[in-house]
Amino acid sequence: MPSSLLFGINNEGRVHTLSTTGSMWRELPYAGQEFKKLSGVPHFLWALGGDHQIYVYVHGLDIPIRVVEESYENERWLPIEGFTSRLLPTDRYNHSNIDGSVNRSIDKITLPSMAWQWEGKWKVELTLNGQPLDHDGWTYAVDFPAQYSPKKQWKSCVRRRLWQRSRRYSAMNTWCAIAPLHQDATSEPFIDVSIGGQKIAGACPGTMLVWAVTSHNRVMFRTGVSDKSPEGARWSHVQTPPGCEVCQLSVGPTGLVWAAVLDGRALVRSGVTRDNHQGDTWVEVRSPGDSLRLCQVSVGVCSVWGVTHDKQVWFRKGVKGECAGMSEELAAGCGWVEMVGRMAEVSVSANDQVFAVGADDRLVYFRTGVCPEDLTGKRWRSLHAPLQVSRASSSASLSRGDGKYNRSLNTLQSRPSSMIEQSNIAEIDDQSHSAPMGPTSLPVGDLTSKFETEPRHAKTWNPVQSVGSIVGTECHPETDESVWSESSRDSCIFAEDEELCWAEYEAPWSWVEAGACTMENHNLPNWFVDGTSGNSQMELEQPWRVQILSELKARSVNVDAYTHYEHAIDTTSWVHSGEARFSMGNGPFVDCILQLEWVQSIGTLTVLNPDGATAMNSFALSDVNCVQLCSEPGNPRLAVHVPRNNPPLVRFQFASDTQLEEWQAHFSTTCGKLHQVVGKVGDESVWAVSNLGDVFIWDPTEIESYQLREDECYVQKYDLSRKESPYKVKLHTGCIPGTKITITGCVGDDADRIGVNLESEPTYKLKHKAHTELENICLHFNPRFREGVTVRNAMIEGKWGGEERDEQIALQRGQEFKICIEATEDAFVIHIDDKKNSTFRHRLPPHSASYFSVWGRLQPFKLTIKSPEIILNPLDMYWRQIGGHLRRVETCKVGVTWGVGYDHTAWVYTGGWGGGFLGTLDSQNVHGMTDCQDYKVYENQRWNPVTGYTSAGLPTDRYMWSDSTGKQKRTRDQVKLLSMRWQWQSDWMTDFHVPGGVDGDGWQYAVDFPATYHANKHFTDYVRRRRWYRRCAVATTGPWQELGHTKLLDLCLEPVEDFADTKVVLWALATGGQAMVRIGVSKSNPMGHVWEHVTSDQALCSISCGPYKQVWAVGRKGCAFYRLGVTEDKLEGEKWHCVEPPGGGQLRQISADVIGVWALDLQGRLHVRKEISKAFPEGTHWQLIDVDPPVLNAAPNSTGFKHVSVGKKEVWATTNGGAMVRRLGICPTNPAGSGWDTGISGNWQQLSVKAFN
Amino acid sequence: MANDREVLREVWEGKLPICFKLDNDEVVDIQQPDPFYLMVPRLSYFPLVTDKVKKHFSKYVSKELQDQEMWMEFNGQPLKWQYPIGVLSDLLRGPEDHLPWSITVHFDKFPELVIYKFSNKETIEAYFMSCLKEADVLKHRGLIASGMQKKDHNQLWLGLQNDKFDQFWAVNRKLMEITADQESFKYIPFRCYTDDGYRQKLIKPLGEDGRKKTLEDLLNEMFPGRSSINVKIHGMNPPLETPLQWMSEHLSYPDNFLHFVVQLES
Repeated sequence: MPSSLLFGINNEGRVHTLSTTGSMWRELPYAGQEFKKLSGVPHFLWALGGDHQIYVYVHGLDIPIRVVEESYENERWLPIEGFTSRLLPTDRYNHSNIDGSVNRSIDKITLPSMAWQWEGKWKVELTLNGQPLDHDGWTYAVDFPAQYSPKKQWKSCVRRRLWQRSRRYSAMNTWCAIAPLHQDATSEPFIDVSIGGQKIAGACPGTMLVWAVTSHNRVMFRTGVSDKSPEGARWSHVQTPPGCEVCQLSVGPTGLVWAAVLDGRALVRSGVTRDNHQGDTWVEVRSPGDSLRLCQVSVGVCSVWGVTHDKQVWFRKGVKGECAGMSEELAAGCGWVEMVGRMAEVSVSANDQVFAVGADDRLVYFRTGVCPEDLTGKRWRSLHAPLQVSRASSSASLSRGDGKYNRSLNTLQSRPSSMIEQSNIAEIDDQSHSAPMGPTSLPVGDLTSKFETEPRHAKTWNPVQSVGSIVGTECHPETDESVWSESSRDSCIFAEDEELCWAEYEAPWSWVEAGACTMENHNLPNWFVDGTSGNSQMELEQPWRVQILSELKARSVNVDAYTHYEHAIDTTSWVHSGEARFSMGNGPFVDCILQLEWVQSIGTLTVLNPDGATAMNSFALSDVNCVQLCSEPGNPRLAVHVPRNNPPLVRFQFASDTQLEEWQAHFSTTCGKLHQVVGKVGDESVWAVSNLGDVFIWDPTEIESYQLREDECYVQKYDLSRKESPYKVKLHTGCIPGTKITITGCVGDDADRIGVNLESEPTYKLKHKAHTELENICLHFNPRFREGVTVRNAMIEGKWGGEERDEQIALQRGQEFKICIEATEDAFVIHIDDKKNSTFRHRLPPHSASYFSVWGRLQPFKLTIKSPEIILNPLDMYWRQIGGHLRRVETCKVGVTWGVGYDHTAWVYTGGWGGGFLGTLDSQNVHGMTDCQDYKVYENQRWNPVTGYTSAGLPTDRYMWSDSTGKQKRTRDQVKLLSMRWQWQSDWMTDFHVPGGVDGDGWQYAVDFPATYHANKHFTDYVRRRRWYRRCAVATTGPWQELGHTKLLDLCLEPVEDFADTKVVLWALATGGQAMVRIGVSKSNPMGHVWEHVTSDQALCSISCGPYKQVWAVGRKGCAFYRLGVTEDKLEGEKWHCVEPPGGGQLRQISADVIGVWALDLQGRLHVRKEISKAFPEGTHWQLIDVDPPVLNAAPNSTGFKHVSVGKKEVWATTNGGAMVRRLGICPTNPAGSGWDTGISGNWQQLSVKAFN
Repeated sequence: MANDREVLREVWEGKLPICFKLDNDEVVDIQQPDPFYLMVPRLSYFPLVTDKVKKHFSKYVSKELQDQEMWMEFNGQPLKWQYPIGVLSDLLRGPEDHLPWSITVHFDKFPELVIYKFSNKETIEAYFMSCLKEADVLKHRGLIASGMQKKDHNQLWLGLQNDKFDQFWAVNRKLMEITADQESFKYIPFRCYTDDGYRQKLIKPLGEDGRKKTLEDLLNEMFPGRSSINVKIHGMNPPLETPLQWMSEHLSYPDNFLHFVVQLES
C-alpha cells in the first residue's frame, strides 16, 4: 500500500496534509488564500476558498498531464495544380480529425484554459506504423475513407498528413481558481464543492465527477472533469425538486451523490452510471428524526455518514454504492443508525474508512474497526499528529503583528462558528459582507502585509486578481504565456525541508477530508500516540531490554561446556510423506504416496504406488532444478524439473492448496539447503518470472562454487569409457579462445576413418514451410588409415571447404591416444600425445562451436574440457523461488531489483527472501503484496432474420461463450480462481474498453466471426460479441516493497559506475507510455526519490538501457528510439532519435547492453542491431534471427519468442511456449551468435540477465 | 506485537544440560548403569524429552517395574511434569546447584499424592493447549485461540515438540498480537510460583491513567507490602522496570504464560 494523504483545514483556513507514512501534519505552501471546505480524490483536490470561489489543486503526479492535439491536413490532387488544399465539396475539411468528421483547423485549436501551456509548435508526424515517411509526412490514398500508404502512386488522388502539438497542464501543485458562474464573481458565489466518481463501474479510467452548490442553493455539475482535464469544461445546473434548497453535498467514489437540504432532509441522486454521470432524478430521504436537521453528509462506497445540526453522527445503512446507479433503494439505503460521539464534520474515504472533526474539542477523529463486515466500526480514536508549519505561512502571520498563537486564539474567539456551520443561509450572507476576504477585495485581508509577505512563488490565481486570465475560460496563450514563465517543476507538493521551520502545536481543526486517503484498518499509520505501537526502535535501546538480552545470552555461556551432550530433540533428519497424484512427463495423473526423506544432508524423493511398497520413481533432491507451481483452477499442481532423471519433468497434484504449499515449502527448503542457496540473494543473480507470476532466481555463485577449477580455468570432466563412438558432447560456452579440449581413447584395430569434430549449430533454411538443416563444422580432424593421410577441414552451411592434408598419421590402429585441441585467437592447435601435430586456422568463429564429437571405430575413455569462462549448462541451474506475484522483473549488477505487477504496480526488492508459500518461516524482510488480474470471457451472438441477435449460433460457429480466439469454451460460471490466495474483487461486468470500440451495451459487431470488430452495427453485420470481465486479486507476501502511485509498463536499470554503491540509472515507462527517470536510486536506496518525466513525441512500450550511456526504447507504433545526449551529468539525455524498425516488422520489446541490442517484433521474431560502434552507437541495420527448429522444439506450443534479455555477456530469451533459451556463439565478429542452448521449459514469462557477468 | 526476534530466539534457544541417574535402590542389574547426559530445551516438558532416558534405564530395573511409569526427582522433590523444564529449574535449583542438573530417575513407588500420572503425550498436549487457551482468554477474551484452526494448534504443538522456532512462532505471533480495537492485552497471563504452588491474579498491562505497568507494579499488586522480592524467569532476574506488555509478548513460555519464580525474602 503506497502512502496516501489525509487533508485537513485548521481554524485559520490553512490546508494541511498528513501522509499515511508520516506522523506530522504539514501545511501546504500558503499562497494567500484561505479555504473553508475541501474535497479530494488522489492527486486532485477541489476546495471552497474563503472568498467562496472554487479552486482546484493538482498534486503528486509524477507525469505531467499532457494532451496531444491532432489535426489531419487533407489534400486532393487536381489535374493542373497537383495536390492542393482545395477539396471537393463532398470531401472532408482541409484540416480534420482522423475520420474527417470534425473540422480541426490548426488556428482554431486553442488552449482550453489558462492552466494549459503549449509545448512547442505544430509538427508533422513523419512515420506511419513505425516506418519513416518521405514527402514531408504525406500519406497517399485513392480516396478519403481508405488505406493510406507511404508511397505516391499514379492512382493516388488524395493525401493527408498528421499535425501534432502537445499541451501541458502547467498549474500543477498550485491552487487554480475556477471561473465564477457570472461575470461578477460576487453575484452567485459557491457554498460547497465535492469531487468523487473515480470508481464508477465500467467508466473510462480517469473519470471524475465534481458537484457544487451555490449560495442560491442551486446544484451545479462540472462537466468534462477527468485526469486529462482536471479543471473540467463548464458548470451545468442540475434541477432540484421544488422546495429543496440544497446546502451541502457529497459525491462518493462510485458517483453516488447525497445532498443535505436546508429543511433537514437529504436528496439522493439516482441513476448515476458510466453513461450518465449526472444521474436522472433526486430521491428524497427523510432526516434521522423529526426535529433533527441533517446539515452535512459524506458518501463512501457502501456507507453514507451524516451529521445533524445538534452535532449528532448518523450512519445510513443499506447503501450499496456499486449498484446505486441501477437501484434507488440501494442508493438511498434503508435507515439511519445513530452513532455515539458529537462531531462537527465527518468524511468517508474511498474504502469506507471514516474520519471526523470533534464538535467540542475540534480534534480529528478516526473511526476504528471499520471493515466491510462492520461499516460502523467500533469507536472514535483521536489523531495526535503534531503540526508542522512552513516559514512562508508563519512569517506571513507574524507580519500581521501577532504571533501565531495569538492570532489563532483570536480567530477562534472572534469567529467561533463561521467556518463550520455554513448550512445557515443567513450566516453566509452575513459572511460575504463581513468576511475579511470578500470576493471584491484581495485574498488576504490586510492590503499592505499581503504584498510584503506573499511567498516568492505565488501559487494561486485569484479570479479577481487576474481578470481575463481566469482558469476555466479561454485565454490567449501568446499574450498570457508570461504568467507561466516561472513554472514550478517540483513534483513534490512541498517546499524544500530547509524552508520549513518546525513548530509543533495542536490546532483546532475545522475540516477533515479523507477522500484521497486509502489507509487500511489493519495497518494503521503512526498517527496515534499510544504506548504500544510504533516505538519498537526505542524499545531496543531500553536498559531493561539490554539487561534481559545480556542475561539471556549469559545463560548459553554456562551451557557451552556441555555441548557434547546428546540433544534431546533431533532436528537433523526427518521424513515427510503424504498422498498426492503423480504424472510423469505429460502423462495422466495417478494416485501415489509421496515421501520426502532427509537424512543429515541427503534428500530423496520417492514416489510410491498407493500400496506404499513399490516405487514408481525416485530421485535425489540435489538433482531437482526447479519446483514450479503449475496449478490449474481447482487442481493444485507442482511441476518438479529433474533434468537428469527419467522423465525430466514430474508433476504432482494435491488435494488442497494448503497441502500443495506445505510440499512446496518442503521442496524449497530442502533443495535450497542442498544447493546451498539459502538466505541472501547474490547481486549477480538472474531473475525470472513464470506465467503464474511466481518469481525465481538463479544465483551464478552457486555453480561457480562447485565447478572444478584448475589454473584459472573451469573444468568439466566426462567419463566416456562406457559410451560408444560416435559420441557428441554439448559445449555450453563454445570453444572460445583459451579453451582446451582433451580426449583420450583407443583406436580400433580395424579403423579406417576416425576423427573428432567441433560442430556449430546448423543453419536452418526455410523452404516450402519446411526447415532444411545445413551443417556447420568449425573443425573436422580426420585421420584416414587406408589412405594414410590426416585431413582437416571445415564445413560452412553444408559445404566442405578446402581440405588441409598431411601425408602422415600420428595415431596408430589398436593404440591408445590422447588428442588435445586448443583454441587460440586465430587457429585451433592440435596436439597428439602431447606433441604438437598441426594447426587449423579458424574459418568459423570458434565461439560458435557448440558440440564436440568423436566418430569412427574408436573407444573414447575420457574427455576434459577446460574453459577460461564458467561452463554454464542451463540444465544445471537451480531456480530458487521467492515470494511475490510479478509480471516483470528487472535487475542490475549491483543487485538493485525492481518488479512490475500484473496491475502495473512497481515493487522494489528489499534484499530479503522467502514469503509466499514459505510463510514466515525462513523469510526475511517480507511485506504484504497484492496484485490484480482480470478474467475475460466473450459472449458471442449471431443474427437471424426472425429473432434478431440470439445466442443460437450456426453449428459451425464458435462457442457462444468463448475465449478471445473462440476456440475454447468459457462460461462465466466455469471460471474458477487459481488458488486460495486469490479472491474475487468484483462480479462479472461488461467491458466497455475493448479495442475497436463498443456500443452502449458493450457489443462489438462484425460480418462474421474471425473478423475485425467495430462499435456500430452496420447493415452487413451478422455477428456480435461482447467481453465480460471479472477482477480477482491475490494476497501474498514477498521481499518487495510497493512504490508510489505511478503505475509502470516497463523499466530497466543500469549502474553508472563500477563500485558497489554507485548511482543507478533507472528508466521506466508509465502506463501511458511516458518515459521517466528515477532520481536517487542506488544499492543503499533502491527505491530512489522521485520520478523525472522525459518527454517523447510518441508513447513508448518498451525501454532498455546499457552502459556507455545507451538508452533504447520502442514506440507504440513499432519503431525504435535511441536517446541522444546522455552523459554522466545528464543521465536523462536530450532527445529521442528515431531508428527505423526492421523491414516489415513492428517492434514490441527491446533489450540493450554491452553485448548488443536485441529487439523482438510483433511476430515473435528477434532482430539484432548490427554495426554498433562508438561512432555509430545506433548501428546501421537489423539482422533477423529466425525462429528455428531448436527454438520451436524447446517447449510445446512454441511458435516464437516472448521476451529477450541482453546482459553483459549473455543473451537469454523466453519462447511463447515457456522455454528458456540462451544464445550461443556471440562474439565481436558475430554479435548475432549462432544457435541456442535450451534450459528447462518452465512456463517462463520473462527474465533479466542484466546482472549476470 | 512480539517483534523483537533477538530476544525471542534467545529465550527459545535456552537449554539445560541434565545428568540423569537411576535410583540406586532400583538397580537390579549387577552393573551400575552409566548416568545419562542430555541437553534439554528449557521451554519443553520432561515427558517430551525423556524417551531416551527411559529406554536407557529400563534395562537395569526389575522386569515388573519396566512397564511402570518413570518419574523424576531432584533433592527429594518429585518433578511435576506439567511445569516447563525451565520453571522447574528456576524453582528447584538453588544458586549452589551447579550444572549439569543432576536428576534421579525412579520406576518404583510413584508418588501419586504429589504428582499426577501421565499416560501418554496426548495428556501433556491437552494440558499445554488448555494453558494456551486460558492465556488467550486473559489476553483477548479467547477470540484468537478459538478462531484458529486445528492445524494451527497442531503446528504450535509440533513446533514445540520438534524444537522448531519458526514453525512455532509462525502461529504463536497471532496469539501475541494486539487486536485492532485494543491498545494492549486485556490481562497479562502469568503465574507466580512460590514454594507452595503458584498464584494468579487479573492484572492489566496498563494502569488507569494509561501508563504502562511494569514488573514492579505486578509484584506490588501480588504481594503488597513485600519489599525485597527475588523474581526469576528463564534462569535470569528480569529488571523490575520492564513493561508487563513487553514481557508477556517476549518472555512468555510456549503456553503463553509468564512463569515467574518468586522468592519472598523476609
